[in-house]
Amino acid sequence: MHQIIEILISGIMLGAVYALLAFGLSLVYGVTRILNFAYGAIYAVGGYLAWVLTVGYLELSYAATFLILIPALFVLGMALERLVIRPLRWKPGWKITTMMVTLGLAFFIDNANLIGFGPENKVLPPLVPGKLEAFGFVLSHHKIVIFLLAIVFVLGLELFLRKTRYGQAMRAVAQDMQGANMVGINVNQIFGYAFGLSAVLAGLAGVLLAPIHLISPFVGWVPFLKAFVIVVLGGLGSTRGTLVAAFILGIIESYTTFWVGASWTIPLWLITLLVILIFRPSGLFGGWTR
Amino acid sequence: MNRIYFLIAVGVLAVLGAVIGDKYLIHILILCFIWSMVVAGWDLVLGYAGIVNFAQLVFFAVGAYGSSMAAMSLGAPSITPLLVGMGCAGVVGLLIGLPCLRLRGEFIALFTFTVHLALPPLIRQGRPIGTGGATGLLGVPPLEIGDFALVAQNKLAWFYVTLCVAAVAIYIIYFVIVPGRWGKAFVAMRDSEDFAKSLGINYYKYKLVVFIVSAMITGLAGALYAHYVIVVTPKILGTEFFLIVMVMLSVGGLGRFPGVILGAFIVTIGNEWLREVGQYRLLLLGLAVVLIILFMPKGIVALPDQIQRLKLKQFFVSSRKSQE
Repeated sequence: MHQIIEILISGIMLGAVYALLAFGLSLVYGVTRILNFAYGAIYAVGGYLAWVLTVGYLELSYAATFLILIPALFVLGMALERLVIRPLRWKPGWKITTMMVTLGLAFFIDNANLIGFGPENKVLPPLVPGKLEAFGFVLSHHKIVIFLLAIVFVLGLELFLRKTRYGQAMRAVAQDMQGANMVGINVNQIFGYAFGLSAVLAGLAGVLLAPIHLISPFVGWVPFLKAFVIVVLGGLGSTRGTLVAAFILGIIESYTTFWVGASWTIPLWLITLLVILIFRPSGLFGGWTR
Repeated sequence: MNRIYFLIAVGVLAVLGAVIGDKYLIHILILCFIWSMVVAGWDLVLGYAGIVNFAQLVFFAVGAYGSSMAAMSLGAPSITPLLVGMGCAGVVGLLIGLPCLRLRGEFIALFTFTVHLALPPLIRQGRPIGTGGATGLLGVPPLEIGDFALVAQNKLAWFYVTLCVAAVAIYIIYFVIVPGRWGKAFVAMRDSEDFAKSLGINYYKYKLVVFIVSAMITGLAGALYAHYVIVVTPKILGTEFFLIVMVMLSVGGLGRFPGVILGAFIVTIGNEWLREVGQYRLLLLGLAVVLIILFMPKGIVALPDQIQRLKLKQFFVSSRKSQE
């Protein structure tokens, strides 16, 4: 019983970070209709950048790291959109070409990481060392902090999308691109911002999970798939749905890893994806569009 | 017209095989033939039917494993392992194709890619059923036709076997399926799905059939590959093969006949040539996919058109200038 509750708690912690990841993907997919296969690679880049800034070379504190990391990731995402996505958009077959180009880019980034940092795992120190012991449960401070940080980022994003001009413009583009264009929203600019913001979220998730899952060149694929399963289950653009889905899947994953073994996680997510797509393709609560 | 060129090319290759003495060159050409089957199968799904399937190498792996396991665990005689590999790939094609009928483009891409990622861990777990786990299967027995054993060292025999099989497979795809009723249905579906449906084209039936046909041809290629290389490991589903095939597709250009086949030849030869650069090879392949799609989105088969258009443009610009 004791153990079951402990697994439940760690599942909830995981779920919060997954929600962060899923929001990044849902943002870009919802706004631009482009499935960005390089999303997982950006997650890995976030982890590696943080490693370079903290224990790898520069020995900065986590606060300074985040100050540098967030703008850097934003620029990376914008650059990705400008250089690779924009030239292809609205050309014939752009859905297929953007998927292929981001897949190629993902492999490029992964192999660049492999050459630059080597195949061995990089370890990041926990955000806050130490652990909390109460009622016989042991919980590391790191897990509590990433849970709180992830929730703060998710709420911040939600506030941004609801209350600010740019956030509202993003939702407008997601709902009706032509309409948004007609009322004077610069769609290209919004696309760039969406990619930038999504890169920030992916990279941050990479940093938050790095002390638990470690960083290696191909580490991003699984988070990418998980993020997508969550987005699909939650319903595109539905904040509530994404949060619920992230927690459900985080908890399911914790129990499967405990009872069946870690190598069954991807098959499990695959089956979940399939079941959702077949029986509930619009997600738990529906969402922005279609 | 294309048909004649194709037959001439096959004939030339057949003659070349007898003339070339160099074993290494023959080996590379054998790989070219095997890969051209894979890309032709993928082109049928992706280029003509417009289904974004990323699980093509799953069919390849299933063919390779099915055939090797049939030969090693069950001791299947003669060339039956190839048929087993092909059949397994067809069944997997059906299983993957069925859910895809209900899904939209990006979801198909994601679902099939997840299948691709989920298979290697299953193969590693599958030691009890004879997949050989992480080390894979070593020493796949040679195929036998009567008393003649098709051993891997006999490069010339392999050259003709793979040439014939690939030629037949490519002929079936590009000269039977594509120009026929099915192919027209695919193109109609790709270009205007609603209109095609309104004409009474059975979307589901064709989608499923194309999946199975493409899976079987790719599975056959995988089975041939397994018996030729003698070693099958989960590496088949690794980054390298996936990238190589993607480069083949993008270099050649999807959905125009000789495109991806040319791509398969160029990339297989280029990849051998790139072995010298070591670990930078995969980096370069990834970069190649990005640059080619950005700057040559229709592949090399469209290159003559592009040059022609450029020339015409220059001609008009210069004639306008002279008028002024």
